[in-house]
Amino acid sequence: MAKVTVIQFPGVNCEYETVRACEAAGLEARILRWNASLQSVKDAAAIVLPGGFSYQDRIRAGVVAAKDHIVDAVVNAADKGVPVMGICNGAQILVEGGIVPGFEPGQVELALAPNRMPDRTGYFCTWIRLKRGPAKCVFTTFMESGAGESCAPISIAEALAADGGTIPMPVAHAEGRFLTASAGIARRIGNGERVALYYATAEGEVARDFPENPNGSMAAVAGVTNEAGNVLALMPHPERATWFHQIPRSVGGYWGKQRTELRAGGLFVSGPGRGFFESLKRALE
Amino acid sequence: MDTIQKEYLIALDSVSKAVLDRFLKEQNLSLKPDELDQLRELLGRNPSLVELHIFNTMWSEHCSYKSSRAVLKKYLPTKAPHVVLGPGEDAGVIRFFEREGRKYCLVMAHESHNHPSQVLPVEGAATGIGGIVRDVYCMGADVIGVMDPLRFGDPEGPKGARVRDIAWGVVDGIAQYANALGVPNLGGEAAFDSSFDDNCLVNVVALGIVEEADIIRSRAPDSACRDPHDVILIGKPTDASGFGGAAFASERLSENDAVERQEAVQVPDPFLKRVLSEATKSLLDLAKHERIKIGFKDLGAGGISCAVSEMAAAGGVGAFVDFDKVNCAIDNMRAEVIACSETQERYAMIVPTGFSADVLRIYNEDFELPGLYRGAGAFVIGRITKDKRFKISHNGRLVCDADVDAITTGIQYDRAAARKKPAPRGVPKDPEPGIREALLALLASYNISDKSKIYKHYDTEVQGRAVLRPGEADASVSLFLPGEPVGVAAACGGNSRLAAVDPYFGGVWAVIEAARNVACVGGQPLAITDCLNYGDPEDPGVFWEFSEGVRGIGDACRELAISEDKGVPLPVISGNVSFYNQSEKGEPIAPSPIVACAGRVGDVSVCRGMGFKENDSVIVLLGDFHASIGGSEYEALFGIAGESLPPAPDYDMERALHGALVEGIQRMLVLSAHDISHGGLVVTVSEMMQGSDPFTVGCVLSLESGFPGDAPEAHYLFSEYGGVVVEVPGRCWEEYRRVLERHGSTWFEIGQTNRSGGIEVRLPEGKIVLSADEMIRASKGKCERLFG
Repeated sequence: MAKVTVIQFPGVNCEYETVRACEAAGLEARILRWNASLQSVKDAAAIVLPGGFSYQDRIRAGVVAAKDHIVDAVVNAADKGVPVMGICNGAQILVEGGIVPGFEPGQVELALAPNRMPDRTGYFCTWIRLKRGPAKCVFTTFMESGAGESCAPISIAEALAADGGTIPMPVAHAEGRFLTASAGIARRIGNGERVALYYATAEGEVARDFPENPNGSMAAVAGVTNEAGNVLALMPHPERATWFHQIPRSVGGYWGKQRTELRAGGLFVSGPGRGFFESLKRALE
Repeated sequence: MDTIQKEYLIALDSVSKAVLDRFLKEQNLSLKPDELDQLRELLGRNPSLVELHIFNTMWSEHCSYKSSRAVLKKYLPTKAPHVVLGPGEDAGVIRFFEREGRKYCLVMAHESHNHPSQVLPVEGAATGIGGIVRDVYCMGADVIGVMDPLRFGDPEGPKGARVRDIAWGVVDGIAQYANALGVPNLGGEAAFDSSFDDNCLVNVVALGIVEEADIIRSRAPDSACRDPHDVILIGKPTDASGFGGAAFASERLSENDAVERQEAVQVPDPFLKRVLSEATKSLLDLAKHERIKIGFKDLGAGGISCAVSEMAAAGGVGAFVDFDKVNCAIDNMRAEVIACSETQERYAMIVPTGFSADVLRIYNEDFELPGLYRGAGAFVIGRITKDKRFKISHNGRLVCDADVDAITTGIQYDRAAARKKPAPRGVPKDPEPGIREALLALLASYNISDKSKIYKHYDTEVQGRAVLRPGEADASVSLFLPGEPVGVAAACGGNSRLAAVDPYFGGVWAVIEAARNVACVGGQPLAITDCLNYGDPEDPGVFWEFSEGVRGIGDACRELAISEDKGVPLPVISGNVSFYNQSEKGEPIAPSPIVACAGRVGDVSVCRGMGFKENDSVIVLLGDFHASIGGSEYEALFGIAGESLPPAPDYDMERALHGALVEGIQRMLVLSAHDISHGGLVVTVSEMMQGSDPFTVGCVLSLESGFPGDAPEAHYLFSEYGGVVVEVPGRCWEEYRRVLERHGSTWFEIGQTNRSGGIEVRLPEGKIVLSADEMIRASKGKCERLFG
């Protein structure tokens, strides 16, 4: 079975739930400490950089971890086409490491700036909706076709169709606003280049405003990929939406309705985030 | 180095009182003259400065429970068949769930961090979280969530500016620490009352999971009596922060403390804590694999001296600690500071000497602590001795040599208690407000208005266990073990204003409310913890309030019992006492017994939360109508004439209520449930509407046939005692009535849900109608601005 390596930088805190989410989709996963032998990274079928606060967010979220030896190995793997997903703090590391969007490979072209909300800044935790952007990515492309056994009886395809192509997912971060100082990059991102996921309204429109766009991200970008589509920097947390019970009632739409009708014992049905890991599994097959 | 050299001893017996007093003040020592005499007697000589500071800490109220111990012992039930460890350890442990022969336990700890949070709100609250999670980690457990019952002063009162700063800072501190640590917030409370103007309350609760076979004790292992064992200090380098913290928590706050006592507040570092926890996990796995028994304890109050002497005493051994081996953050630290500083993010471990190298390797090399934080790491600082002495060497000289039991046994006081007259009630507002005006004012009050601005900045999702989050229900529900449907329901209870009216009932109510909250999500209450926040115990009136509160908690726990196993009390498995909470003028805070309750939900798929779900459901009051209004939010806003004491607790009703709720929710006959608390019946129903994907479901309350007594109508509508309001779909109502009868629960059909999105209350004379918009505007008021 394909092995997913979840890298544990000092201070991350989502490594265990990320492993569970991989396993729920039928992927074997293991946690690898940041100072482990680089050989273990080279053997990985896929790599996930989980959420948390690597190196205490010193200087800027993700920037110290991005200089770690092990990230060199991640870059090499990504260059060879190994799927790499950075979730939340992991996304910050991929951006700070210049791995996405990769218009000029190796250049840091984006930043993840402090959230911009109407009445305060700082950490914000809520559920939002995502819709796919024009850029193809191994973690999103096969979402609905990956509705294998682990997803039954919920069909992600059906859910996407019912909710205007959107899926609900939690965000929890203080610095999640994709931003760039370059007009050229802003234009390309604005055109949807490398954009794998947008924040969306319940109707399936790209969400410009708070709270649907929870952090003021430019062009409502929630997830950015690279040219090959094997790397995804994603601020929301699919691993926290892997099971049905994790969905709050306030989510509404297809999932909210299913949640309301959930009967005793119906707990371990898959949630919307499962699609990301199903898509990965399909891509690895 | 056999005895302490004479020049290190403080000649307590040969100085004048004036000189002694000045010396004690300079050293920030709070030992009383008779305590100093006791200490000299115990040692058989004058103490060294280090010993003075150690005993000052260990004999503080915070560490020794010297005023409270007798009362706690007298009233609180702590034993039940499912209790693995009760009070006395860092955290309580109950058996919770068994799978394939493996017993999984729930760990609970509960503490206060009131004084530090008043002085430095962000750091004080953050280290409150830091300290309570350490109490759970050091049992060998994983932390699965924290709760934070808070009390603040009046944000619009004379101290409003400071109160608002503190409220904001406390919430920020909790968020900063727990979010970074990766521990979800499971709820809490935020209540406001002017008696907290000069002394906020920051209580913290942590929950954890451990397998029974993997519980680590805070004591030297049995093998320490035979074989050589090392004492290892793990974590952040020792600095002077938090020096005197335990003693500080055991004194009255004074006006200048905001400036002068900042050094007594610790410095939080959740990043280091997270790395430490991962390293510890790795170490405990290795110890288990190699079948090595270890002792493990967090460093909290009293720092190194407290942790090491307590572990040695509990294991029936002594310890020798060499301060020259302690990793200090600053050069030339004084021995008494190294001994008692409460630097955060530290643990002490006692392991067989042969295992020390593995411990050092895991923390220092595998997890690179020294590289991640200057001076951090694991260091062998001493060894276990067989002589039951606690000895400290500093700069090669012996500076402490005392019996371990003498240090840890502490002292005890028999405090006088004298019934206190209740404070005079306020004057009723003239003219009395209309029901509509009163309801809007209540919805907008600090105590009742929407608190989402607080918890939206806490991480409620991390670890992926969340089923019901803060704001979704009266208790939070988290998955206990991945892959199993069983869940933990957790909630807090306590109402300081009710306790001010009747201190005994205040204790009773804290238990009833916390247990009801758990039952409202279909959880079976299994254990409680308590944090008892009061004024100065040397004041007989305050000590009476305390003693009455504890008696109330004990009675309620025995009476409620655990219905799975009749006759077994709801056990108190851990807790904390916080005295000396008072205003600058010496007025005690409103008595504040605060209880946290944990329960088990068999299958979390059926947990539904408090928001109305459907139109045309029957709204049912389980319990009774009450007109007692003393201590209510209504009284605080509008005043009442004369006294209005709480009703006598009705435990038969309470037990029936639990049974009917748990069965109703598990069988999905009940779609939503919410207990009546702040604001009373109509406010409770309004909150159920707010929870219905805001205001998609409205309701009519049909109260036109009046109430059982002749008290003013408003008192029935806004009394905070009634019971629980549930929503039952029409198709299930007949079946649920049978359930209610079987459990012997009293009930009243009080209304119906509908599509209006608003609320209509029909009364004997006329009706009031509020639209969803009006209610949203009211409830989005004050807390939104305070925490926005």
